[in-house]
Formats: sequence, structure tokens, C-alpha cells
Amino acid sequence: MYVVKYKSFFCFVMFILLFSWFAHLCFADKAEKALIDAEHDLASAYVAVAEAEKAGANVSRLLVKVEFTGNLLADAYNAYRTYDYDKAYLCAINCSDSGDGIVYAASSLKLEAEEAYSTRLFITAAISSAVLSVLFVLSLFGWKYFKNKYLKRVFGMKPEVVKAE
Amino acid sequence: MSFENFKLLYMLSCIGLGLIVLSPTLAMVIQVPGGERFSELWILGPGHMAEDYPFNVAANEVYKVYLGIGNHMIGLEYYKVNVKFRNQTEPVPDAFNGTPSTLDSLLEYRFLLRDKEIWEKEILFSFEDVSFEGNMCRVSKLVIDGYALDVDKVAVWDEESGGLYCQLFFELWLYDAAVSSFQYHNRFVGIWLNMTRNL
Repeated sequence: MYVVKYKSFFCFVMFILLFSWFAHLCFADKAEKALIDAEHDLASAYVAVAEAEKAGANVSRLLVKVEFTGNLLADAYNAYRTYDYDKAYLCAINCSDSGDGIVYAASSLKLEAEEAYSTRLFITAAISSAVLSVLFVLSLFGWKYFKNKYLKRVFGMKPEVVKAE
Repeated sequence: MSFENFKLLYMLSCIGLGLIVLSPTLAMVIQVPGGERFSELWILGPGHMAEDYPFNVAANEVYKVYLGIGNHMIGLEYYKVNVKFRNQTEPVPDAFNGTPSTLDSLLEYRFLLRDKEIWEKEILFSFEDVSFEGNMCRVSKLVIDGYALDVDKVAVWDEESGGLYCQLFFELWLYDAAVSSFQYHNRFVGIWLNMTRNL
């Protein structure tokens, strides 16, 4: 009777150990997948924000969000390295959630910035062209005026008389 | 002044005036190349100065350094700092070939910096499970910012310098959107630590 009980207890302990080991492996695998997804999400967010910034958009608010997301991902990796797969998984999922919408917001900001740039460029180019046209017409009149003035001055000059030796 | 010279002067004046009028548009279209692109990486002692770095360290004591990065890459950059720990025989990053140390990263920090922005972090570290045996010292755990990391390093007595040396160093990595991954930025800083027994 005692041996049977002992065997059952041993089996139970073995089962618990195997189960926890298996659960640990599952968590590690799950955390790893979540980390890969989070890494990809953050990279996409960074690229979108960088492009928006390059286009001249004000990305200060988005940057705060990306920074927070980056910290979460670093925490996730650090937790993974210390075998805290539960924390790693949660941080990675939070990172992906937090990164959600950054790409869309950055793309919208980029589009707005590009439109604003196009408008600004069009207005500047239009004003420059108008001023340039006026300048061209004025330069033609100016040339006529200055040429006449120059010729008048040249023709008005008296020849220098040199005494014959 | 001859008529030809007068004509030339007038034409040049008109072209100059035209360029002045066009300059706002040209400034919007032509991208002038910026200066040199680089990143700064530094490490400061506990007093926020380049002095009094932790050197003689013992188990269960907390030490402090400041790690800083400055972005001069003319644009927003995504950085990663890998924290590594080595003994005297293990490889450091190769500055000549621009390759990182082959050691595994123990911890990392990630952040984004705009042009001319800096990032600075106070780093607290300590050692646990340090044992001494003959002319060797085994460091089992390094605790950085609350993360207890298994390092398991053996430092052998250095006859020349008279110490049991290990190095804590930080590698700078930069995200390259073209290859969709982090690339080693060929910069690292570190501090040498002499493992000592607790008094």
C-alpha cells in the first residue's frame, strides 16, 4: 500500500515537473514569436516616423510614443534574456499594441507635410516666376534706357585736340 | 568703359537679380548636403565627470556610471546599445574591421534620437556570487538596472598589472532601414574592473 502511494506521489511530482517544463518551453516559444512581431512593428513605426520627419512633419508627439514602445521592447528582450518569459511576452504584446496606429499616424502626417510643402513650393515658385517676368520686362526697358544714356554720353564727348608739333 | 563691357555688366546684374528672386524656390528644391554624419558615445563616472570610474569592485556593492549617446547623423535615428561583459581573454569589438564583439549581449537599451539630440542614462551595476580560488575569480551574476544576469566569467590574475580584470562595455548599434536590421555602428565604450574581495 505504502509503495503504491509512494509511486503515485512520484508520478504526480514527475507530471508536475514535466508539465512546468513544457509550459516553460511553450511560454519561451510564445514570447519569442511576440518579440519578433514587436521588433517588426517597432521597426515599421520608426521608418514611418523617420519618413514623416524628413518630409517636414512635426513628429514630437509620435516620437514620445515610439520612444515608449522602444523601451517596452528593450524590457521585453531583457526579460527574455533573464528567462522571465511571462514578462517578456507581456512587454512584447504591449509594445505591439502601443506601436499600433503609429505607422498610420506617421503616414497621415507625412502626407499632410508633403501637401503643405507642395502648396508652399507652388506659391513660392509662382511669386518668383511673376517677379522674374516683371524683372525681365523691366530689364528690356532698362537696357534701352541705359544704352541710350551710355551712347549719349559717348557721343557727347568732344574729341581731344592735340597740338600739332 | 567700352560698350561690350557695359553690356556684360548689365547682363550680369540682371542674372544676379534673377537668382536673388529665384533663391527662395531654389532653396526649397535643392538639398544642400549636411556636414559629417557621426554618433557620439561616452561613459562618465558617478559624479557625471570623466573621472572616478569604478575600478576596484567587490560583490554586493552598487556602482554607478552614466552612459550617453549624441546623434549627429542629420536625421532621426533608431539606436540600440548592447551591454556586454568579458574577461581579459575574450574578444572586444574590432574597430579596424568595424565588427562587434562575438559575445552575447546581456542587456540592451533602445531609443530614438533626432539630429543633435542626446540620450543619457544612469547605469547601476553590482556583482553577486563572486568566488575566489587561487589566482582566479569567478563572477556568476552581474546585476544591471535590476536585471540579474548570468555571466559566469573567470578572471585570471594578471601578473603585469596585478589584478583580476573584467570589462563591462557598451556597443552602439544603429537601425538600417535598407536592410531592416540593426548594424554595428563601430563604436563602443567600456570600463575595466578589478575584482576584489569584500573587506
